[in-house]
Parts: sequence; C-alpha cells; structure tokens
Amino acid sequence: MVFLTLSCWIRSRGPDRYWKVQEVLKHARHFRGRKNRCYSLAVRAVRRAFVYATKARKLKKRNMRTLWISRIAAATREHGMKYPALMHNLTKTSVQLNRRVICDLAVTEPRSFLSLAKLARARQQEGFRAALGDGKEPAGVFSRVVLLQ
Amino acid sequence: MSSFSRSAQQWATFARSWFLIDAKMQPPGKIATMCSVRLQGKHKPIYHALSDCGDHVVVINTRHIAFSGNKWEQKVYSSHTGYPGGFKQVTAAQLHLKDPKAIVKLAVYGMLPKNLHRRTMMQRLHIFPDDELPDDIRANLTEELPQPREIPRKLSEYTQEEIDAFPRLWTPPEDYKMK
Repeated sequence: MVFLTLSCWIRSRGPDRYWKVQEVLKHARHFRGRKNRCYSLAVRAVRRAFVYATKARKLKKRNMRTLWISRIAAATREHGMKYPALMHNLTKTSVQLNRRVICDLAVTEPRSFLSLAKLARARQQEGFRAALGDGKEPAGVFSRVVLLQ
Repeated sequence: MSSFSRSAQQWATFARSWFLIDAKMQPPGKIATMCSVRLQGKHKPIYHALSDCGDHVVVINTRHIAFSGNKWEQKVYSSHTGYPGGFKQVTAAQLHLKDPKAIVKLAVYGMLPKNLHRRTMMQRLHIFPDDELPDDIRANLTEELPQPREIPRKLSEYTQEEIDAFPRLWTPPEDYKMK
C-alpha cells in the first residue's frame, strides 16, 4: 500500500471548477431569470448567444449596407435626385466611393455631398444629351473616362 | 468609425419638425406615402429605426380627397367586430361619408412598418377634415410640403381667349350635330 495515513487518501478531483464555471457565467450576467446564476441553465443560454453572435456577424454587414443606402437616399432626395440615379452616375464618372463613405459625407459633410450630387446630375444631363442628340456633339466633360493601365 | 474628425455640432439635428400637407384634390395614397416617410424619419440622412427621429405631420382638407378611377365605388374596407356574423365591408364612399379622416388614416397605418413604433408614429399624425386647425398646432407648424398631384383646371376656369387660342384638331362640317 502506498497511502498509509488517512490524509494521503484524500484526492482532489479538479481544483479549478470554480474558475471554469465563472468563465461561462461571466458571459451570462446580463441575462434574464435564473440563466444568469445557475450553471446548467447558463451553459445552454450562453451557447445559444454565441451561435446568434456568429450568425449575426454576416447579418451586420447586410444591415449596415441597407442603413447606408437609406441614409444616402434620404440625403439625395433633399437635393432633388434619387438614389439609383446618384450611384449610377457616380460610377459612370469613376468616383469609386463606397456607400459607407458617401453616407458619412452625407451626415457630417453636407457641402461635399452636395458637390457629389451636382456631379452626378451633370453626368446625368450629359447622358441624356448623348442619348437624345445626334452624336455629332462631343459628350461632355464628365463623360470622359480615363482608363488606367 | 475611428476615422471621424469632429465636425461642428449642429444643435437642431434631432429636433422634431411639424409638416403641413394640403390634401385637397389629391390622391390619398400619395399623401399617405409622403406622411409615412416623414413619420418614420426616412427623409433625414441621420435616420435609424431606433433613434426616434420621426416628425409630426398635419394633413388638412381630407374631406376633399380625390381617388382616381372608380375607387370610390370599388375600393372596399373590411373589418370584423369579433362577434359571429360581424364581418363588415364598406365601400370607400360610404366610409368617407361616415368619417372623412378614416381613409387617410388607414392608408398611412398600412404604409408604416408593422412594429411597435407604428402606434407612436400614428399619434404624431394629425388629420383634419377641413381647413380649420387648432391654434397650438398652427403655432407649431414649420414647413408646408408641395402637393404631389397637379390639380387640372376645369373648363370653366379657362378664359375665352385661352379657349380660342387652343389649336383646333379638326373642323366639323356644317351639318354636324354636336351631342
């Protein structure tokens, strides 16, 4: 026999259960009901929460883009244009600003946004003239596209 | 958004404005879209569904609303009282006679997003059947919106000179009888 005294027979089954439990409960502290206190309920709720968070990372990108688009649409309507016209004409003038930047400009830099709207309107008018006209007049200044190689 | 530079703080950004819309001879659907856009705050570049950025909208002259086509007789508003045999169907004309505000109110209610904010947005919509407004609402108004539909003039509103100056498409023969 190796363990000859009583004190040697005592085995510790795992000295860090408290910290393992706290690792899970710390993510559940803001939950409602017993899920924020009791480990068995909290484990299930925390796993669900993590799954939702993983799925939402893709949804966040979609939601942010729709928010940007609706904000840009509101700002362009203030200037008498519509969102599809603005974006199409900005891409035709090779202004490669994404929706996030244009939305921030619309919120904090209204005059820069107004200049973008005027640029898009000018390009739109040039497009109308080129489509309705004969083709003898040269297309306007903003229709010239520089092909970088 | 760590790349933001601090721009000047505009103190009236989140203020709530009061819009006025005159619905005389206008289609109620177009009036309702304008109302719902402004009640949600979607006309502002700072829009967010949670930031409560909607404005107040006051609609006047809803008694003189103008449906196009045969909608006064053909459009049906249905409801159920909850009791058996309580399915009620009313045409737009009958509903308008009973309550001149109801058509615009139902149109706006259907165009708002179907969530819990809808009721608060409807509380910010003020509909009046005629031109009279209470003084406190009149004092709050900030902007009048242009009407969506151009009202065509009646023949009696044209002067005789304008009628004569209008180009003739064909001249009828002498023995032609006009109905």
